Amino acid sequence: MGKIALKDIYLPETATAVAIRQLTPTEKCFEFKLDSGKSLGHMPGQFAEISLFGIGEAPISISSPPHGEPTFEMGIRQVGSLTGALHRLSVGDKIGVRGPYGTTFPVTTAMKGKDILFVCAGIGMIPLRSAIKYVLSHRKEYGKIHILSGTRTPAFRLFSDELEQWGKVDGVRLLETVDQPDDGWKGNVGVITTLFSKISFDPKNTVALIVGPPVMYKFALLELRKLEMSYANVYVSLERKMKCGVGKCGHCQINGLYACQDGPVFRYSDIAETREAI
Amino acid sequence: MFFIAEEKLHILLTRLTDDYQVCVPRKKNGKLHQTRFPDGGGDYTLDEVRSCEPAKIFFFRAREKVADGFGAGPPPPPPKPACITGVKACDLKSLEVQDYVFLTDEYTDPFYKRARDSNLIISADCTQALDTCFCMALGVNPFPEKDFDINLSKMEDGYVVETGSAKGERVVKDNEHLFSPADPSQVKTREETRKRVQSQVRININEYRIPQEGDWKGWKPIKFAYAFWNQDAKNCVECGACNTVCPTCHCFLLFDQGAGKKTSRMRVWDSCLIKDFARVAGGANPRPELWMRLRNRFEKKFDFFPKVLGINACTGCGRCIAACPAKIDIRSVLGRLAANAH
Repeated sequence: MGKIALKDIYLPETATAVAIRQLTPTEKCFEFKLDSGKSLGHMPGQFAEISLFGIGEAPISISSPPHGEPTFEMGIRQVGSLTGALHRLSVGDKIGVRGPYGTTFPVTTAMKGKDILFVCAGIGMIPLRSAIKYVLSHRKEYGKIHILSGTRTPAFRLFSDELEQWGKVDGVRLLETVDQPDDGWKGNVGVITTLFSKISFDPKNTVALIVGPPVMYKFALLELRKLEMSYANVYVSLERKMKCGVGKCGHCQINGLYACQDGPVFRYSDIAETREAI
Repeated sequence: MFFIAEEKLHILLTRLTDDYQVCVPRKKNGKLHQTRFPDGGGDYTLDEVRSCEPAKIFFFRAREKVADGFGAGPPPPPPKPACITGVKACDLKSLEVQDYVFLTDEYTDPFYKRARDSNLIISADCTQALDTCFCMALGVNPFPEKDFDINLSKMEDGYVVETGSAKGERVVKDNEHLFSPADPSQVKTREETRKRVQSQVRININEYRIPQEGDWKGWKPIKFAYAFWNQDAKNCVECGACNTVCPTCHCFLLFDQGAGKKTSRMRVWDSCLIKDFARVAGGANPRPELWMRLRNRFEKKFDFFPKVLGINACTGCGRCIAACPAKIDIRSVLGRLAANAH
């Protein structure tokens, strides 16, 4: 038999860490550059499989918006063996990349011309940052923008320097909250849903993007329902063990769906009745 | 249709070893196992029943290297493609599920495709039924009707041969001196044997009151899900044997082994019943309880695949019944599902 003509879907391409900065005590932002010189070609909401050969591979959200350059950013929390090893990387170290995979936030479709509500709870800021930056750089294509951000403590605010910049953009309202304040915190205290009462938006003309820990979704969705928001205008991103990323390995299956191919971004009305989704 | 005598089939299989890694079922402790040919000579058993190993082992291997080092390219193909023999209809049916998973979308699995494209399948009629066989409840007859290159039906001194593909026809043509036209009486014997095995499977189905595929109206919501599933989950030990022997189970894990330049990425079969199967690094687990994972296994077979592919991902081979140390019986699960759907 001859050489296989098909692409090896499990073989990563290589990339180099070109910048690393600490975001919070547990998260770092990495800028990687594909060694091929090509752009990753993703859209907001997608993920890529990041690997360190010999250690492992995991699906990680892309935090930067698409920009045509061979670089992309990822905010990564240190939680396991692979992310632990990633946190020990230095600039110049190599990683493996497969992707981008999965569905995207509807930045070029359902969101166009609408007011946008971003609900970023904790680490949910990481995938949403890609969409926020995309929307801000195409500001005229969207209406009013609300960005709600909630973290455990002020020390865990992700991309805090950028948050302030976003809040200054015309037509953008930024509201932050923390679960536990420190001495210097002057803002809102409480879970992210406490911010909903502080904003007013037209539920008929707004698209909401919500990403955060599993427990948050139920409460945030309930609040949105109370505000007469249709679930057809709500998009969520679900975290699953997307081991292969290409709809083969079965790990990210949610009933009839594969999070890696049918998600990770779902229109909530499509999965509201799906057991185990949220 | 043709006829090939026992000793001539041996010659044919020996010939095929030039181009293929030929595998034959052989008996060990009364059970059939896939083994290499010609090692061990002619003591193979192509008829009787399915082998212990499901056919997926030839295409979606239990453990396979899928990437070699950093950027070194995909691992080379095995020296010879597989010629698998004595495959039964239940296993042929299972390949529809495996093909769907590995071949039919933009991300084609190159290893599976390579093995599938280059293989030669010499299937065979069942001449017996195990008491765990219930293929006909899932719409599969105990004799191959499609998806084979060559099919063998056991006679007293040889086999009635039917070709099912151009590849199979070529094998017969290239070795035509080994074949003779089948005698009408042999074809008649084939039909009689088929009817006899069908009636044996039907006895199993009646005895265990297994619902017929057409009779049950698919998966319906289960009112008391915990009670429904825990009667089996309370016995399950999460060993994953059912997944391993299942011809349609396709889930796998990717992991890296070795260090530095000698690393390779491996793909190994995984089991959806194991607690960490869907757990993410942060600790969240969409199916934290065993009964949920057990439900998911059956739901995937009888709800997910009917939805996405239009067929049940169970072929009635009965391997999981034999393999389960907790005696969880897919036949009784099917019975309960059918009762729930009514």
